[in-house]
Amino acid sequence: MPESIPASLIIDTLKDLFREARAAREAEGWGPSPHEHLGWILSVPDTHQKTVLAALDKEQTIRVLTCATEDEACTIAAGLHAGGEPVVLMIQHAGLYASVNTLRGVAMDGKVPVFYMIGLLQREKDKDPKESRHSMVRYCEPLLDTFGVPHARLEGPNDVHLIAEYYRLSRQRRGPTAVLVGLETS
Amino acid sequence: MAMKPEEVLRVIQAARGNAICIPTMTTGPAWRDIAPDDLSAGCVGFMGGASSLGLGLALARPERRVIVFDGDGSLLMQLGSLATIAGSRARNLVHLLFKNGVYHTSGSQEIPGGLTVDFVTMARGAGYAMALAIGELDEFKRKLPQLLTAAGPIFVELHTTLADQTPMTARGGSPFDQQMERLRGKLLAAK
Repeated sequence: MPESIPASLIIDTLKDLFREARAAREAEGWGPSPHEHLGWILSVPDTHQKTVLAALDKEQTIRVLTCATEDEACTIAAGLHAGGEPVVLMIQHAGLYASVNTLRGVAMDGKVPVFYMIGLLQREKDKDPKESRHSMVRYCEPLLDTFGVPHARLEGPNDVHLIAEYYRLSRQRRGPTAVLVGLETS
Repeated sequence: MAMKPEEVLRVIQAARGNAICIPTMTTGPAWRDIAPDDLSAGCVGFMGGASSLGLGLALARPERRVIVFDGDGSLLMQLGSLATIAGSRARNLVHLLFKNGVYHTSGSQEIPGGLTVDFVTMARGAGYAMALAIGELDEFKRKLPQLLTAAGPIFVELHTTLADQTPMTARGGSPFDQQMERLRGKLLAAK
């Protein structure tokens, strides 16, 4: 049975991830970052991850930029990456559907490592997402499969290691990857 | 009066210094000729995304100017980006809108509202630090030094004629992934 993940655990994981990304960036030759914060979250606010977004409001070490659309978030991420900055997208499944052309044109065709955290709003706790009665839950994984985007489910606190793993995978394969937040964060 | 896009681009190329440039749609072919192999990445295939790509670069590299060559039809596709850019307070972003009132690449069909759409008012309302319209090349030449130094985000609606070429009539150029990789490599090498 899936469990809710505390916001603090996700934020600590993101901080560790960004520290690792900063070290990799320096090893690549970028030199010191022009920024004081560790990394960037591009968010189109997601109900499922709202406790994380609320906690990030008070967090000085991660900069959050709220975007009007997921298309923008994906393309801004490409620009940040080209400029040597680490970035994570936090959106919900409906936003993934809305921004499929940008996923294709920017992240896939552009071979840009875009890492998504996608909230599965209305996912039923006792059902596999593929059996959900809600189409927006049911089609998310098949859509990612159709586009060949590697993805994993965050079904509880023990799965947060997948955040760093799929972030690294996006860099290795030079393309998009995603983790799906199964239940509303706490 | 309206300016030739190619003339505007030549003026920019002469004055840009180390600025990153992001052309899209009909500015793409001309920019390839005017500034081959430069610090830029052209956007085709995700219409409306140029300003967001420019914003990401501007946020990542605050020490450089980033100049976006947007189109009016393109901007309408992702109009919310005006608010996102303004909200980001990217001081080094210059958002140039080449306004011709039509979707030139797909056959010059009029955009919704045609030439009556007032993008300057939209950008100002979104919260850009500066927003203005320019219709004469001499005026553009006079104001460009200020546009390249003043605190942004800056929005300029440029009243232009149609470009000589479109991405459909002048195919070619590197694929987007190669352009992005080359741009990233150049920014890294410049560190």
